[in-house]
Amino acid sequence: MDGIVEFFRTAPIPPEVFAPSLGLIILLPLLGAFVCGVFGKWLGRANVHLVACSAIAGAFVLSLMAFWATSDAAGGRVVSMPNAFGLERDVVRYAISYDYGTWFAAGDFRVNFGLLVDHLSGILLLVITGVGFLIHLYSTSYMEHDDGYWRFFAYLNLFVAAMLTLVMADNLVLLFVGWEGVGMASYLLIGFWYTDSAKAWAGRKAFVTNRIGDFAFLIATFLLILTVNAFSQQADPRDFNSAGSSRARYTQGLLEKGPVTFKGLEKMALALPEGTGGAVSLATPIEAGPLAGYTFGGVMTATMLLFLLGAAGKSAQLPLYVWLPDAMAGPTPVSALIHAATMVTAGVYLFCRMSSLLVLSPTAMATIAIVGALTSLLAALIAFAQDDIKKVLAYSTVSQLGIMFMGVGMGVFWAAALHLLTHACFKACLFLGAGSVMHGNGDETDIKKLGGLYKEMKWTHATFLVSTLAITGIIPLSGFFSKDAVFHGVHHNHLHDLHWVSGFVYAMGLLITACTAFYMSRVYLLTFTGKRSPEAKVAHAHESSWFMTLPLVVLAFLSIVTLVYALPLMPRTGGGMQPVFENFLSPVLRPAEAVARAAQTVALDNSTPAFLDYLTAWLVALSGGAAAAFLYLKYFPAQVGKPVPAFARAVRRTAHNKFYVDELYEFILIRPVKFVAFILFRVVDALVIDTVLVRGTAYVTEKVGLGLRRLQTGDAQAYAAIMALAILGGAVYALLQVLS
Amino acid sequence: MTLVSAGLVITARSPINSAMALVSTFFFLAGIYVLLWAHTVAVMQVLVYAGAIMVLFLFVIMLLNLGDAPHRGKSSVTRLLGGASALGLLAVLSVTLGRTNPMPANLGPQAQATFGTMAAIGQSIFTTWLLPFEAVSLLLLVAMVGAVVVAKSRI
Amino acid sequence: MVPITYYLLLAAALFCMGMFGVLVRTNALVVFMCVELMLNAVNLTFLAFARMHGDGIGHVSAFFVIAVAAAEAAIGLAIVIAVFRSRGSVNVDDIRTMKH
Repeated sequence: MDGIVEFFRTAPIPPEVFAPSLGLIILLPLLGAFVCGVFGKWLGRANVHLVACSAIAGAFVLSLMAFWATSDAAGGRVVSMPNAFGLERDVVRYAISYDYGTWFAAGDFRVNFGLLVDHLSGILLLVITGVGFLIHLYSTSYMEHDDGYWRFFAYLNLFVAAMLTLVMADNLVLLFVGWEGVGMASYLLIGFWYTDSAKAWAGRKAFVTNRIGDFAFLIATFLLILTVNAFSQQADPRDFNSAGSSRARYTQGLLEKGPVTFKGLEKMALALPEGTGGAVSLATPIEAGPLAGYTFGGVMTATMLLFLLGAAGKSAQLPLYVWLPDAMAGPTPVSALIHAATMVTAGVYLFCRMSSLLVLSPTAMATIAIVGALTSLLAALIAFAQDDIKKVLAYSTVSQLGIMFMGVGMGVFWAAALHLLTHACFKACLFLGAGSVMHGNGDETDIKKLGGLYKEMKWTHATFLVSTLAITGIIPLSGFFSKDAVFHGVHHNHLHDLHWVSGFVYAMGLLITACTAFYMSRVYLLTFTGKRSPEAKVAHAHESSWFMTLPLVVLAFLSIVTLVYALPLMPRTGGGMQPVFENFLSPVLRPAEAVARAAQTVALDNSTPAFLDYLTAWLVALSGGAAAAFLYLKYFPAQVGKPVPAFARAVRRTAHNKFYVDELYEFILIRPVKFVAFILFRVVDALVIDTVLVRGTAYVTEKVGLGLRRLQTGDAQAYAAIMALAILGGAVYALLQVLS
Repeated sequence: MTLVSAGLVITARSPINSAMALVSTFFFLAGIYVLLWAHTVAVMQVLVYAGAIMVLFLFVIMLLNLGDAPHRGKSSVTRLLGGASALGLLAVLSVTLGRTNPMPANLGPQAQATFGTMAAIGQSIFTTWLLPFEAVSLLLLVAMVGAVVVAKSRI
Repeated sequence: MVPITYYLLLAAALFCMGMFGVLVRTNALVVFMCVELMLNAVNLTFLAFARMHGDGIGHVSAFFVIAVAAAEAAIGLAIVIAVFRSRGSVNVDDIRTMKH
């Protein structure tokens, strides 16, 4: 036993040796994207597959090494990196980093190209490259009839590179690069079949919606930079002392690393609460700069709310979730990788990464939790009435992301991250299963026209069943544990002055569980059980090749075994046991806990769920599933041919039309914007710019040019003579200046 | 002598005469360079200018088979203007230079031994001025390729 | 010791003669030769100033000027040949191609 532990705690490559190679993890997929994109057409299909898959496989191996290195404790010495913002003894444990030097600098402001891998980003690296590799493998078979294969794999590799940048960045600006990169790759892949205008429009919709969020993200970053500047000027030694730093070290850190690194922000967060003493606290007004007069706490709340808008764009939350269901226009592996497993969880990752700042603002936390709950419930309700298998899965993704946001908002970051991890496994499995179903049934996506596939597609059926049970929350699959960990934390954590939030969100959570169980069971039952629909496109479905089933099996297996993370097996400091994942993420989240304790903004509850909690959640999930089973196996088949009640039809139509949210946006946002654009086009563009500015300048230039043309003789010597004359003039002028 | 032969360059009717006068100008200039203790540059002057460049000129003149240019009496305004400004510049410069009277620097014996020698210049070029040196070599290469491309009738 | 002024005056005279030639002569070849003359005048000033300051940088500059002059001569003569081929003349009056 000790031997095994020792094996896992000794990285094959020592951390300090490995750290400079962190950039390779990003570089490999980028290289793959370059090769596939530029030479793909000439390389041929098999070579493109080889290049794309091996690039991701290489990145996976490197990620594994990096992850291993972050857990390295060879000889009892835990791997650590120096914290540029803290005192000498204040090292960051269980993390490796490498700084590739200044990326750009302008005045005091500078951004380094620094990469950081700790337990949080390490596990995400494994998810991105691991699930990414499986999906690449799957795609080689799924895209076998498509001529744009090289474009597809180039984009997919590009996406992975951008996502890795996002996760490994040690500062906000570099993270934003990845953030934009994944947005672009997502846009390219949603509109992959760009000849179909509906699909191209879906890509554009995703892009524009994300733009709104990205704009908020940028403003939030600027606010943070201003806050850091104000903080570094106003703080006194006691502030720095409470954060385990000193003025000299902190200023040095700002000079070396720039103001927006996560470690620097963490130090500021540690110094801000009232309880720590010092000149700066949340209620202190900022003295100088554009933010003069606002308190630190107020600015922090505004910043976090802006980040919420940014994260809502990327992670498909209210009010910006509308792009995700449409994003299903892209190829199914894309939906699995980008719009289920990785990119859409970027918002959750962002908040986990900045957890120490987030806990400073209970208002922002409550907003996040409520937004998450509302989104989750709305998406679950819409999913009831969708018949397109991918649309249902898309809405369920929105719903599950809402659950993660609830967790983040209530301060159970580890559970949110765990749900992110398990969700990546089972949702990718579900999407790939859906893709396999489509592949075997002539691209049929309407679940009403499928059915009875359990005999024809055995592997797909088995894996789909496992992941459906996982997302539903049936014991003992991982989804049950992670979702329950979130809800338990949500129930027992209390935001300062906002006690009602936890009860409200928890109630919503139980409702969502029931809904999830219902619509997921519906999809499963309609697709795989019963008799084959007479409207099916092909009489007999065929099982997909092993390239497609192997990733399914691996993912299904993973969605079972990740439950280990949620089991309370690790000893907690101060007695008792704590879940593995909480223990695992504690090096990352400890500052947030310290800040929460000092600021008293959120009361964190560390108890593990009792049997009763489990039982409640399980019963709720089971009842949802049972209701679906009853309705779709017994009730509806018996009702065929009878008229449907008017009320039921109206409800169904509303849900089917996604509660008319798109139409609402069309009415209150898009129409006015279009109208303003029309006015601008007519008045400003056509009249002012076209007539006065463009034609006017052209007219003046033409007349002047006609006049000047007489001077143009084309004689080079004449020009030289003019030059000589000018030189003479200059010389005479200089001489006169000297003489006088 | 330098001025006389330079004057011949610009007044000679035939390009060949001009070229010959230019060669003699270069030789005279090389002598003046020696007076300025610039032996290396003087040698290069003879090699590159009087040798390589002038051969190139003569070669082109032969190739194009140019005889005496028929003198065209007409002189344009710009030409007069140009000539006048050149002479004016000369006047201004002479006035300026006439008012100054710098003397050569008094070099010590140590410096006298090294000033203007191949070794000193080479040292300077290959340490301080290495990048410009490489740029010039690239320029020559580009010029060579460019000359071939431009002069060739069909590529 | 000869004062530097004389060298500079000689350079000025050479430069102005070269300039005169460039501006007045019509034969493109002669124009090029006059350009060489001007470059040489510049070289002379470089060397004179180098002597005046006892500094080797002037020599290096002269060296670079010679290299550039060689490049310029090669390209210029190639252009002259190309122009002669297409127009049958090396007279700058006949080559008014700089008019659009």
